[in-house]
Amino acid sequence: MNLKSIVHYLIPVVFLAAGLSSCKEDKLEGVEEISGLGGDTWTEGPLDIWLKDSLNTPFNIAMKYKWDQFEFSNIAATLVPAKEEQIIPLGRTIRKSWIEPYVAEAGLTFFNKYSPKVFILSGSVQYLSNGAYVLGQAEGGRKIVIFDVNNFRFRGQSGYVAARDSSKVKEFAHTLHHEFAHVLHQNTFYPVEFKTVTQGLYQGENWINISDTEARQDGFITPYASSGFDDDFVETVSIMLIEGRAGWETIINSIPPGFSANGTSQADAKAKLRRKEALVVNYFKTAWGIDFYSLQKKTRAALVPLL
Amino acid sequence: MMKKKYISFLLLVLIAGLWSCKDDKDSVFEQTADERLNATVTAYQKELSAAAYGWKGIMYPKGGGVYSFYFKFNEQNRVVMYSDFAPESAATPKESSYRIKAIQAPSLIFDTYSYLHVLADPDGAVNGGNDGDGLLSDYEFTFANDSLKTGNITLTGTKNFSRLVLVPATQEEAAAYGTGGLAKSLLFNNIAKYQTYFKRITIGGVIYEIAVNQNARTITLNWVTGTTVNTFTTDYYYTSTGISFITSFVNGSTTLNGFTGLTWDASSTLLSVTAAGTKTTIMEAAKPLKLDVGAARRWWNYAVNIGSYWESENGFHVNGVDDAFEVNKLQEGTSKFYRYIYYPQFGSDYDLFGPLFYTPEQSLELQYFDAVSTPPTFATDGRIIFKALGSSETYPTSGPVILSKNLFYDAIGFYLIQTSESTYDMVSAKDGKSWISWQ
Repeated sequence: MNLKSIVHYLIPVVFLAAGLSSCKEDKLEGVEEISGLGGDTWTEGPLDIWLKDSLNTPFNIAMKYKWDQFEFSNIAATLVPAKEEQIIPLGRTIRKSWIEPYVAEAGLTFFNKYSPKVFILSGSVQYLSNGAYVLGQAEGGRKIVIFDVNNFRFRGQSGYVAARDSSKVKEFAHTLHHEFAHVLHQNTFYPVEFKTVTQGLYQGENWINISDTEARQDGFITPYASSGFDDDFVETVSIMLIEGRAGWETIINSIPPGFSANGTSQADAKAKLRRKEALVVNYFKTAWGIDFYSLQKKTRAALVPLL
Repeated sequence: MMKKKYISFLLLVLIAGLWSCKDDKDSVFEQTADERLNATVTAYQKELSAAAYGWKGIMYPKGGGVYSFYFKFNEQNRVVMYSDFAPESAATPKESSYRIKAIQAPSLIFDTYSYLHVLADPDGAVNGGNDGDGLLSDYEFTFANDSLKTGNITLTGTKNFSRLVLVPATQEEAAAYGTGGLAKSLLFNNIAKYQTYFKRITIGGVIYEIAVNQNARTITLNWVTGTTVNTFTTDYYYTSTGISFITSFVNGSTTLNGFTGLTWDASSTLLSVTAAGTKTTIMEAAKPLKLDVGAARRWWNYAVNIGSYWESENGFHVNGVDDAFEVNKLQEGTSKFYRYIYYPQFGSDYDLFGPLFYTPEQSLELQYFDAVSTPPTFATDGRIIFKALGSSETYPTSGPVILSKNLFYDAIGFYLIQTSESTYDMVSAKDGKSWISWQ
């Protein structure tokens, strides 16, 4: 190839390259027009103002009560939104039974650092194919999903029957403390010894077929505690908190004599629960510097007037 | 060489053309997609809140039936509703929240609990559906394309594809909702208090047999021309002035879109309605308009042919009371009542009539039963008459089983009314005031 022909080939290539690089860069335009950018907005009502003053500003907690199916881990589940008249009583219960005892015992900084920041509400439970249903869910320590909000009856609401409805409020406080305990152990792990206390007695998915008494006879505070290590830990924490020390003693002393189906004796079951109790108290002290029995006292004292 | 040169210039022109840089901003539309979407959302928002007298809503859940609503939207994301689902929701307005949002299409979301959510609630105790499903209804909808042009708004549920049609209400209708009109229309439900199985209404000089299924929300009209029985069935819903048919009924010069002007006389158990412009009263009747003389034999043969039995959930309905003999309370040891059954040719020379129980282990068992002469007597006028052969030694001496048995062996017998391919109602031929539903 001689020089001339190289030039002949070169010219188009140069033009081509120039053509490629000659475009003027466009400015990014029109993004402010994107529908829904920045989240949903609506005209604020009294409910929104109450939530802002009571949960959002002091604790940086958002209670998302308006329906958004995409906040649920199963976006195909059949659920319904919460009733508006349930929101404020629910918010009050959250403050009284969970936030205030922790803040009083461990301080606002501790609480705001670890507390879940978003509450998502469903009016109904989420039914599962095995016949069980979901009452609460925690996602990544940030979000708590509360189900069955519409069936809560709070003290002072019309139609409140203490015998029937107080257990529901208690169950709700249970869920809050359960999920928060998950957040705590996901940040600082509980002692490995905890997993060995009832080793070999865990039931996994079979927990739904176990009664309270059967679970306790094996050294689990609830049937759900027998489903796995982590849930055992957080169930132990949450039941201790909502029942108070006296209630906890009553449960342990109600374990019937004899042996469980798995051969655990009454004395052994009691000893296992006592050991778990000691490990929980120790964990709160060493991991978080929290006096558990004092927290327990405050939690129970706050909960009793709600029941 | 020269040739090659031209070719390369040609190539240059071609490639340069491809990479041409002129920024051509002429779009088919004058606005961007986002601007148009926002405009549509705003237009829907305006349309909903601009209806001065609100909207009548007709809801068709995927689970069946049809339900009516009244909606009044404002511009602050609030909506006030009435619903024909229950007497309370028909009488008391309830306010809740809504928003219009562009998800994949412009969508209307009822985002806090309202009367609309009652149908969709997965808790079966709320709406009578199955736990986990409810009535397979919706509360998030997308707008159909033509909704801005036709005056009506057609919405499709995003989950179950239920349909919701919004029709602008008139001033009179809005006023009627506000003064309990919808609640008054639910008086129609009192038709269930009539003691007789058969009820008749005369419209335009023709006698119709009327049957209402309140759970499925259907109305059936039967009438006779010559020797033929004609049947018409439609879904219905409640309005601020009465009840409305989904399908209009046309018979000659009579066109019926529903009933208005409902009045209920509790002391004489009589419901009056205005039908096709004329006030008329629904009357009791002891007999069907025309007897289906083959029904009894068909009923008996059906079970014989498939080697199975007929079952009834609630036993006899008597004088306006479901499960009048309380068979659902039957219990034998640890076994509980499951169904009352009639088993043709259970033995080689007898039919069986009696309660079926289920054990704690969920298996079915017979504790005792009546042996009935087989086949039963099929009278030429269509009646079926049962004759006792005897009963088990362990047979109770009083209670629901004896009461059921005494009615069952009534010497006048029963008419069989086929209600679907595989369901029949067996109605006392004596007075038409007691019956049992077989399935």
